[in-house]
Amino acid sequence: MIVLVLNCGSSTVKFQVFEMEEEKTLATGLVDRIGMAEATLTYKPEGKPAHRESPDILDHGQAVEQILAILSDRDRDGVLTDRSQIAAVGHRVVHGGEAFTGSALIDAKVLASIKECVDLAPLHNPHNLRGVSACTRVLSGVPQVAVFDTAFHQTMPERAFLYALPYVLYKRHRIRRYGFHGTSHSYVYQRYLTAAGGARPEEQRVITAHLGNGCSLAAIRNGRVVDTSMGMTPLEGLVMGTRCGDLDPALILHVMGKEELSPSQATTMMNKHSGLYGVSGVSSDMREVLEEAGQGNRQARLAVDVFCYRLRKYIGSYAAALAGKPDVPGRSSGRTQEPGVSRRRRGERGGRRQRGGRVGHPHQRGAGHRTGHGAVGESEAVRRADPGEPPTASIDPRPCAGPKWSGAPSIS
Amino acid sequence: MHFRKIAVVGGGTMGQGIAQVAASAGIDVVLVEVSEERAQQVQRELSAKLDAQIAKWGLTTSDKRAILARVHVTEDKAHFGHVDLAVEAVPERLAVKQAVFVDLERILGPDVVKITHTATLSVSEISQVLQHPERAIGMHFLSPVHRVPVVEVVRGLATSDDTFGTVKQLIAVLGKTCVEVNEYPGYITTRGIVPMLNEAMHMVMEGVASARDVDAALKLGFGLEMGPLGMADRIGLDQVLLWMESLFHELGEMKYRPCPLLRKMVLAGHLGIKSGKGFFVYSDPAGSGQPSAAPGTP
Repeated sequence: MIVLVLNCGSSTVKFQVFEMEEEKTLATGLVDRIGMAEATLTYKPEGKPAHRESPDILDHGQAVEQILAILSDRDRDGVLTDRSQIAAVGHRVVHGGEAFTGSALIDAKVLASIKECVDLAPLHNPHNLRGVSACTRVLSGVPQVAVFDTAFHQTMPERAFLYALPYVLYKRHRIRRYGFHGTSHSYVYQRYLTAAGGARPEEQRVITAHLGNGCSLAAIRNGRVVDTSMGMTPLEGLVMGTRCGDLDPALILHVMGKEELSPSQATTMMNKHSGLYGVSGVSSDMREVLEEAGQGNRQARLAVDVFCYRLRKYIGSYAAALAGKPDVPGRSSGRTQEPGVSRRRRGERGGRRQRGGRVGHPHQRGAGHRTGHGAVGESEAVRRADPGEPPTASIDPRPCAGPKWSGAPSIS
Repeated sequence: MHFRKIAVVGGGTMGQGIAQVAASAGIDVVLVEVSEERAQQVQRELSAKLDAQIAKWGLTTSDKRAILARVHVTEDKAHFGHVDLAVEAVPERLAVKQAVFVDLERILGPDVVKITHTATLSVSEISQVLQHPERAIGMHFLSPVHRVPVVEVVRGLATSDDTFGTVKQLIAVLGKTCVEVNEYPGYITTRGIVPMLNEAMHMVMEGVASARDVDAALKLGFGLEMGPLGMADRIGLDQVLLWMESLFHELGEMKYRPCPLLRKMVLAGHLGIKSGKGFFVYSDPAGSGQPSAAPGTP
């Protein structure tokens, strides 16, 4: 079975084609600058060089049409003989509100529910919907599935998702924590279960980490998310590449007054000028910040410390929320990658490692291979608190030090 | 309609602002100036304005790169190529605007929508020089264009529904709110604000209070973002004088007669932020426009 997966933005469509029997990627690509002069289509069939073209693409419908054309064009290394080979289409949909607790086969009712969530993600959901209607037109009859960023977190109890604001705001506008990166957390959790040798979800206390340019954690108990660090929007929680994460909410009103900022400027400041980039003044990329820190740049060092401290604090609080010793599988892109951080920690702490938690395969406690956490790029790792220690023992209490991450074998 | 490329004639404050918001929305812009020298100056000014917005966290450096890559400043109208519509934003003088419209119709043909950016002039009068005035319409942004979310759209007598629809769609793409105004001098915003600016200037001239206190009272008293005199300095006192003269001439009412103090300041070259001195003095004309502690004239 061949599945086409689309992620539609305002002027972009990212796509991948999967062959599901062997679970392999056949091709990936991107349509950029839709509706603008010089739109581009980049197409990369697996194992072959990438194609880059500049066709006229006015809307998402034409983008999907161009994608299908190149996928079934033998002269351009198309991976399909015919577009009718596509058995299903998967759409990334950012916000599923409270309506969706999992992926959904798209029908009129599901479409209406996604439209109702436009208010919660005005910058994303409308474009995701454009991709759905484009496919409905050009791939008539092919089943389409919406995969929501928020759905995995919908198991959170009210005590975790409600903000302590007047309750009427929740009733009127659904102001609450939704969480994001749900597909990533779900994936990491599934990989963890596989690596744990078929461990039963109901026996697990797990904290999953998504550390990319955006960063989030999820606390999972008995297979259900009990808390997650992103909130009503992706701004809350951990320090990220360019986002500030948690703040005193009164602070922003104070800064807006002092600096005479409009709401739009304040929003941009918190989303694009903060985080690792804002504190370091160097970059939003952890590799570059670490390099600067290594050369004695105090602000870069501070940015790493603020990032790690916040992460450590969250892991500690989630250990408490889970009421037990958690495992922490993580997934990172290269931008906020872990290897450099963890290597630096090992170098710094030397022999103190024995005090803290031990990390390794859940069923091979003490294996403790001192390998890195993977190469630059996507990496995965499982870190586990030593069962003989209380959960706090896995956290180095000194300022500016991250959670006790000794070397961990890569799951993959 | 998809807007892929538009032309903006006139790279002053408003022309640059319109070019910036269009480029931010992903539209390519040909910004036309009168000379190569002036084109280079406009490029520098636009870059400096974007830097000031970055300093205020409203933009990122990559936003700036993307915007500058989409705005092509030239002195040559023949380099338009195909554009989806054209906006003229040259100074508020009838003959100048008409000359630009005639040029645009000759170069772009009759079908391309031509927009005049004007606060006080008559769209019908400007577009009477066209062979196809049904493709002409008026539009009025407020300064600073990237911050003010409303745009007045003004139909001339001959403007077609199709032309109006195109401009309404453009404004939606730019993320602004469109208000439709019947052609009448000053529309809503200029006619509404001019008497307040004039009255504030009269208060200063008559010695009722200092410029700082007039602004403080009106700003804090009525929850305005800035006081009227600071606002006049920001708009440019020469521009405010032009508006007042135009409204006074068109409507004939004394409330629009320019305050003599305003006229005197303009003659002395005290034009507000852009000259460094107006009702307040400004240490950094290209910067944020914050008045310094020392009051300016008077």
